[in-house]
Amino acid sequence: MLRYTISRLLGAIPTILVIITLAFLLLHAAPGGPFDSQKKIPPEIKQNIERKYHLDEPLYKQYLRYLVGILRGDFGPSYQYRDTTVNEIIRQGFPIDIVIGGCALVGALLIGLPIGIMAALRRDTGWDHLPMGLSMIGISVPVFVVAPILILVFAVNFHWLPAGGWGTGSLKNVILPAAALAAPYIAYVARLMRGSMVEVLNSPFILMARAKGVPRYLLILRHAMKPALMPLVSFLGPAVVGVITGSIVIETIFGLPGIGRAFVDGALNRDYTLVLGVTILYGVLIVVFNLLADLSYSVLDPRVRY
Amino acid sequence: MAATTEALNISAAPAGRSLWQDAFSRLLYNRTAVASGVVLGVIVLASIVVPWISPYNYYTPEWALLNTSPTLHGGHIFGTDDLGRDLLVRVMWGCRVSLLIGMVASIVSVVIGVLWGAAAGFVGGRVDAFMMRIVDILYSVPFIPFVIVLVVMFGRNLFLIFVAIGAVSWLDIARIVRGQTLSLRNKEFIEAARASGVRGPAIVTRHLVPNLMGIVIIYATLTVPSVILFEAFLSFLGLGVQAPMTSLGVLVSDGASELQSYPYLLFIPALFLASIVYCLNYIGDGLRDVLDPKER
Amino acid sequence: MRFWNGASKALPKRMREQDRGRDPQRRWCFAALFAIPVCLVACSSQQQPFVSARAIQVSSDLASEQVLNRHLGADPRTLDPTLATDVVSQRVLDDLFEGLVTLSEDGQTVPGVALNWDTSSDGKTWTFHLRKDARWSNGKPVTADDFVYAWRREVDPATGSEYAQALTPIENAMDVAAGKAPPARLGVESAGPGTLIVHLHAPTPYLLALLTNAYLDPIYEPAVKQWGDGWTQPGHMVSNGAYQLSGRVINSRITLEKNPYYWDANRVRVTQVNYYPVTDINGATDQYLAGNLDFTDSVSTSDKDRLQQTLGSQVVFAPYFGTAMFGYNLEKPPFQGNPKLRLALNIALDRDILVKYVNRGIGIPAYNIMPPLTGYDPAVPDWANISPDARHALARKLYQEAGYSDLHPLEVVLTYPSGGAEVRRFMEALSAMWQMNLGAKVQIYNVEWKVFLQDVQLKEPVFYWAAWIGDFPDPFTFMQLFQTGFGMNYGDYHNPQFDALVDQASSINDAATRFKLFHQADAILNEDAPLLPAYFYESGHLIKPYVKGWQSNITDRNLSRYMYILAHQES
Repeated sequence: MLRYTISRLLGAIPTILVIITLAFLLLHAAPGGPFDSQKKIPPEIKQNIERKYHLDEPLYKQYLRYLVGILRGDFGPSYQYRDTTVNEIIRQGFPIDIVIGGCALVGALLIGLPIGIMAALRRDTGWDHLPMGLSMIGISVPVFVVAPILILVFAVNFHWLPAGGWGTGSLKNVILPAAALAAPYIAYVARLMRGSMVEVLNSPFILMARAKGVPRYLLILRHAMKPALMPLVSFLGPAVVGVITGSIVIETIFGLPGIGRAFVDGALNRDYTLVLGVTILYGVLIVVFNLLADLSYSVLDPRVRY
Repeated sequence: MAATTEALNISAAPAGRSLWQDAFSRLLYNRTAVASGVVLGVIVLASIVVPWISPYNYYTPEWALLNTSPTLHGGHIFGTDDLGRDLLVRVMWGCRVSLLIGMVASIVSVVIGVLWGAAAGFVGGRVDAFMMRIVDILYSVPFIPFVIVLVVMFGRNLFLIFVAIGAVSWLDIARIVRGQTLSLRNKEFIEAARASGVRGPAIVTRHLVPNLMGIVIIYATLTVPSVILFEAFLSFLGLGVQAPMTSLGVLVSDGASELQSYPYLLFIPALFLASIVYCLNYIGDGLRDVLDPKER
Repeated sequence: MRFWNGASKALPKRMREQDRGRDPQRRWCFAALFAIPVCLVACSSQQQPFVSARAIQVSSDLASEQVLNRHLGADPRTLDPTLATDVVSQRVLDDLFEGLVTLSEDGQTVPGVALNWDTSSDGKTWTFHLRKDARWSNGKPVTADDFVYAWRREVDPATGSEYAQALTPIENAMDVAAGKAPPARLGVESAGPGTLIVHLHAPTPYLLALLTNAYLDPIYEPAVKQWGDGWTQPGHMVSNGAYQLSGRVINSRITLEKNPYYWDANRVRVTQVNYYPVTDINGATDQYLAGNLDFTDSVSTSDKDRLQQTLGSQVVFAPYFGTAMFGYNLEKPPFQGNPKLRLALNIALDRDILVKYVNRGIGIPAYNIMPPLTGYDPAVPDWANISPDARHALARKLYQEAGYSDLHPLEVVLTYPSGGAEVRRFMEALSAMWQMNLGAKVQIYNVEWKVFLQDVQLKEPVFYWAAWIGDFPDPFTFMQLFQTGFGMNYGDYHNPQFDALVDQASSINDAATRFKLFHQADAILNEDAPLLPAYFYESGHLIKPYVKGWQSNITDRNLSRYMYILAHQES
């Protein structure tokens, strides 16, 4: 397994390089530049700006210049926020997304796992239909509907929680965004858990354990859980990365200075460096978490070998 | 002798039932799934018939009737929207568009994802590593510039929506399928199939895939609502249906911005969206139950 | 499989015939699930506002804490005055820096750092006399050299400033920007620390209005030399306005504290200003209702009625110096050489319906390009005042004379940049109106913003969104859009008579004469119809009743230094 991990990590380097290259090409292929605005800039002035940011150089040169910068840890200046650098934006925004995303996922797992398991155990009864039905509200009602309703009820009406903003990062600023973010994941976790648990409970080896007289709770916890978790873990790998790199909807509605919003704004404003910076972060996280998910397969199902 | 033979005459071999026929007939016993199927069928039927028979269309404004609430008397059962257009007709058109896009895009992503993931998991080794690295790369590439470049290169084409959505949503399914394949490929029935000489691709399609279908169907039904809402975001980038034509995703996101003043503009399309999602999920559960080989 | 039959309910039931469909628990679960949404829909059919605002009692004494919380529609791109191009940056910079002239509470141009000024007889040289007590936030005096440094920095190619061309009236500005002359050749010099001399190419009547913009504010050179690009960070920035920068988190909050060295600091009552960028208008409204914001930057169109109902005079609308309009490409069919078709489309629009119903009454119907401006008499075409029926008949007549009919309708694409639901709704209304009134088929297409800019600059769309906000309160900023050869004349409108009028007007100092000439130019635009004006903008704000010291003005700039907070209590 160690050899597998090392070879995966080594393979990560060309993967990330390909990601950077593809992203770079796509960004420059999209029409419009970061300094295009409605008030048209005379060509001489445009040249001045482009010269300052090296945007007038041939593409391969800009690419190499960017790669060299990355190796020094410098992700470049931001083109849309001219006072600051990409490093600074990510440094400020990423911890916020980690906190909120982390709380949301933990909450989703704490709620969704028990619901899914119960539903699988007591299939077709009230324990199945009601909790599963309620949890599916999370995916059938979009986040941009759930979030404003939460704000209306808890912030504007009762004044229990702030209506948005990050403030000093205290708990009261985290609750509502994390709750809104967690809603769809509760549904994903519960349904995936239920589905795979139902399949596992039908397996011969569970039958055999039951025949041997294994008590029910041990049956579930020790024998059924592990293989049942596999699809959930496959899903969680990229889901974790998606959640901790920020949701633009949550950040916009709650006014949080995270990198999800910066990323989308960057793509729409052609802020090349910011988009590339967040893309690299995302790519590294994807490689790491997918690796963790894959490694966990061999823990959950001993037959899986690398 | 002849009489005995005739008495013993075994009638012609009973017509065999394929996996799907068998599954379908057992599905009918699942009341939830049937009820969901009926509701979904009603929605589909309504989305086709109502725009035909309604006296209102989806694009002509009526200045005197802006934002009227739903009412049982009078013409507009669901009320009117910001431009005085009948909400029922617009929701029906929206269902048409969203159902079409949702189903087709989901099917496309399921097909690609299942084949990719099963092949990667089954073959293993370097091929698996390479295929999954491609998945990692596609996860990370920023999709907004990708969509913008698509629109610029290929113009405004409804088909492009499927490409854009499909390019993004098959990745999760591929990962899940690969994970399942890794456990399944060591099972005895695969060995048995191999021993009887079934070749690789056939093992994948005929033995692995049916065992995976349960989880795949469940995940696919989970992705439909996000596909429908994703389409609304894509229309912001210039892709998809053009105004005044609308989709459920667009209706819901427009309604959300008017939640406090005219809540019915949100709740009615959201109700349809939620119904579709619930129905698909219950049908998916039912399908999972009938297609699971262990339940027979 | 017998032992399964008696197995406890913990293990899954097989799908045996006799087990199916028997669970009564299941039925009421479904009933419950379906009942919830039906109730929601039924409740939402009553049109009650969800939330009523709390009543606020305001006294006439000043509040003990003078902290103002203001809203920004987006995060400022930069707080460097030389580089600022967007409205949002300008808002914050209005509080941080002060130029030669500044704005009064009601939007008039009044002395700022300059106490008074003289013009030479040919109007090409202006001499500004700076006040002696103008100071930077570190106590140092503001001198003419600070202005010279800032303006040279603006046109210096190395700075990469986007608005360098705004300085075109100043001698040699464009040569410096093009790299043909060093920055020292810019037509501005200091004659002692308190005197600034500006040399212009030609008399520029709107110079004072231009000077209120951030890119002509002074800059403290030692700060830039010491910190480079990071000089705009809190702790590094040195500003000369009523406030200084004490904190900034991108996309979260900008904090300004009172500048004790400001020359008018005695009369500045608000001691701290917090700017919160909130892009979602509904989120901003919620924050306002929750008491986190005192002064929002905009009002949601769809919520306008409900907000006016519950908040009354806290909802403030005022004319804003901008026009929502559409451009025609005059070098491509179908609009090439077809003024009757363009006029038909112009005339067929029911602008009062658009403004009243589609925009919920926000905005003013526009029949010409120039928005309302004190002292300016707009050129309103005759057809603006006839009855709708007569107007529709006139439009149809022109439409037919242009060569179109019900059998051969106009089919054209109207391109607009992607925006929110309100933009899309407006475009749908337009398209429907032309269909109803003329039978023309105008298909609307939305394009992502940067792609839209690119397409328009490449002159590809035939019919496109072309809204314009004036740079300064003068007709020239609108008229120049249609001068031959102007970079933003994307439709390629060319009328020598119009060009002559605009050229003539822009060099005359007397306002009344200028405005008359611009009026004639305005009328020519109405006849030739190279554009389709739809409505004039109105700015909208939600303002708490305890915030005073502001007045609506057409540039929509309200400096915090005039404001003050009254003691108040929420019930």
